Amino acid sequence: MGRPVLVRREQVLRGGQPLAFAIGLGVALVVGLVLLVGSGHDPLRVYERMFEASLGDPRAWSVTLNRAVPLGLAGLAVAVAGSMGLWNIGAEGQIMAGAIGAAWVARIGGEWPSPVLITAMLAAAILGGGLLALGPAVARARIGVNEIITTLMLNEVAIRLVQWLVHGHWKDPGSNNFPLAPMLPDNARLPGLFERAHFGVVLAAVVIALFGVAASRTAWGYELRVAGSSGATARYAGISFERKVMTVLILSGGVAGFAGGIELSGAADRITEGLSNGFGFAGIIVAALALMRPSGVAAVAVLFGAVQIGGQSIQTMGVSSSVSTILQALILFGAIAAGVLSRYRVEMVAADGPASGPVDGVADGAEEAS
Amino acid sequence: MTEASMIGLLEATVSFGALLYLAALGEMVAEKAGILNLGVEGMMAMGAVTGFAVALQTGNPWVALIAAVAAGALIGLLHGFFTVVLGAEQVVSGLSLTILGLGLSAYVGRGSVGQPAGAELVGVDWGPLSDIPWAGPVLFAQSPLVYLAVIAGFVAWFVLWRTRLGLAVRAAGESASTADAAGHSVAGIRLAAVAVGGGLAGAAGAYLTLSLTPQWAEGIVAGRGWIAVALVIFGAWRPGRVAAGALLFGLTLALKTRLQTFGVDFSPILLSMLPYVLTVGVLVAISIRSRNRPSPAPAALGIAYRREER
Repeated sequence: MGRPVLVRREQVLRGGQPLAFAIGLGVALVVGLVLLVGSGHDPLRVYERMFEASLGDPRAWSVTLNRAVPLGLAGLAVAVAGSMGLWNIGAEGQIMAGAIGAAWVARIGGEWPSPVLITAMLAAAILGGGLLALGPAVARARIGVNEIITTLMLNEVAIRLVQWLVHGHWKDPGSNNFPLAPMLPDNARLPGLFERAHFGVVLAAVVIALFGVAASRTAWGYELRVAGSSGATARYAGISFERKVMTVLILSGGVAGFAGGIELSGAADRITEGLSNGFGFAGIIVAALALMRPSGVAAVAVLFGAVQIGGQSIQTMGVSSSVSTILQALILFGAIAAGVLSRYRVEMVAADGPASGPVDGVADGAEEAS
Repeated sequence: MTEASMIGLLEATVSFGALLYLAALGEMVAEKAGILNLGVEGMMAMGAVTGFAVALQTGNPWVALIAAVAAGALIGLLHGFFTVVLGAEQVVSGLSLTILGLGLSAYVGRGSVGQPAGAELVGVDWGPLSDIPWAGPVLFAQSPLVYLAVIAGFVAWFVLWRTRLGLAVRAAGESASTADAAGHSVAGIRLAAVAVGGGLAGAAGAYLTLSLTPQWAEGIVAGRGWIAVALVIFGAWRPGRVAAGALLFGLTLALKTRLQTFGVDFSPILLSMLPYVLTVGVLVAISIRSRNRPSPAPAALGIAYRREER
C-alpha cells in the first residue's frame, strides 16, 4: 500500500492556466448538469440559453461586457495588491465607497456639463475607494497589521454607510418612505457605446491595459515584484518596502473605488445598498484565476461576466439564480485543483515514508514552506 | 426603559452571543491549527438550510441539528481538501467556499422559502431556576444551543490547552514542521480542525433556522459569519475572551432592533458597524503591543505545509 503525495514538477506545465480555467469550467458544467437535472430542467437547453444570452449576439455581448467592467476592475484592484503579495479583500467595500464619492458629486453638480460632472464623479470615486483603503494601508505599512482582516472588516462598514445614507440624509423625499436615493441626473450618466454597453467598458479596458504595461514593463512593476517576494531584498535594493505597501494598497482601493463610480454612472439608476452585488468578492476570484496578472484579468472578467449574465437569463426558464452562483464557485475550485496539478504531480510512496529522503526532525531548521 | 424590555435585551444578547460564539469557536479551532477559513458565512448557510430541510422531513429538531453539523463539517472539509491536501491559497479557497455555500444553500432551500420550520429547538425549562427574577428568563430559558455553545467553549479550552491532542493542534498552527517532526500528522490535524470548525459553523446555522427565526430565507446568515471571523481576532484566539467578545457583539445585535423602544436617538445601522470597527481597533492594538511581546495569532496561520518542501 502506498499513499499519494504531491511532488513539485521541475517545470510548470505549459499553458497551465488557460487549461486550468477550462478544467474548472468543465467541472462546473458537469456539477451544474447534476443540479439542473435534479431540479427537473433540460441541462443542454439551459446551457444553450446561457450562452445565447451572454455571448450569442452583439446585444448579449454588450450586457456581458457591462458586467465584466466591475468584475475586471475589482479583479485588477486585487491583482495590484496581489502582485506584491498583499491581499485586498476589501474591494466590495471600496466599490461602495467609490460609489458614495461619485453619488455625492452628482448631488452637488447636477447643473454641470456632463463631461465635467462625470470626470469629477470618477475622481471622487477613486478618492473614496482609496480613502477606505488608507487605514489598512497605513496600519499594514507602519505597524504590520494584517491587511486581510482590516480590509475585510471595512467592507461591512462601507456597505452599512450606504445603507445609512439611503435610509437617512440621501433618502428621496418623493420616494414614498422607501429608503431610496434620488435617481441620478441625466448628465451624470456615462454615454452609451453599442447596444446596451456603456462607455465604462472603454475606460475599464484602458485602465487594465495601463496597469498591465506598468506591471510588466516598468521599473515600478519590477520593484513591486521584488518587494513582494522579499521585503529584505527590496530594502537592500533601496526600495522602501513601507512606502510600496502603502501606495499599492491605496492604489488598489482607488481602482476598486473607480469600479464603483463607473458602475453607478454607467449601469445603476441610483446608489443602493446592493450596488456592488458581490463584485468585490468575485474580483478576488477573477484575480486568482488570472494569477494576479493584470493581463489576464480582462479575459477572466469577460468569462465570469458571461457566467453571471447567463445565470440571470435562465431565471425566466424557472432555474434558480443560485445555480449560476454555484457554477462560479466551482469554476474556481476546479481551476485551483488544476492549477496545483500543473505545478505538482501525484506520486505514490510507501505508506509510512516521505516522498524523498528521510525526515530528520527539526535539525534542518525546518522553516514553513509557503 | 421598563424592566421587561431590559430583560428582553439581555435575553437577546445571550441568544445572539451564543450564535456568534458557536461559529467563532469553530473558526478559532481551525485557526489554532493554522487554517484561516473565510468560508464561515457559507458554512453557516449550509448548516441553516440542512437543519431546516431535515427538520421538515423528520420533525425531529435533534436529528436536524446533527445533520446541520455534518453538513457544515463536510463543506468545511472541502476547504480542508484544497488548502491542506492541495496547499492552495487559504484566502481564495475560503471566499470561494462562502460563495459556494451561499449558492448551494439557496439551491437546496429554493422551494421552502417562508415555510415554517418542521421542528424547533425550544427553550429549556430549568424548573425553579427559570423562575428566578432576571436570571431566569435571561439565562435559564434559552435554546438548548445556547448551553451547547457554553459546553463547546469549555471543551475547546480543555482540549486545546490541557491535552496532548490540543498541544499537537496548537503546534500545527504555530510551526507545522515542528509538529511533523514530533510525529504528528499535520495534514490529519488540520483537516480535523477544519471539520470541527465547519461542524460548529453548521450548528450556528441550525441555531438560525431551528431556534432564532424558525424558517428558511436566502441571506438568513446576513453577515454574521463575518462577525464570527472578527470575533476570533477580537478575542485573541482564547475561548474565554472570544466568549466575552461574543456577548459584546451580541449586545450590538440585540440593541439594533431595540434602540427606538428605548428612546435612544441613534441610527441602528451605524450601531451595526460597531463589531467591525472594534475588531479593527483591537487588531491595531494587538499589533502595537506585540512589538514587545509575541502576537497571539498562530504563527503558521495561513501558510500551507508541504513536508516534501521543507
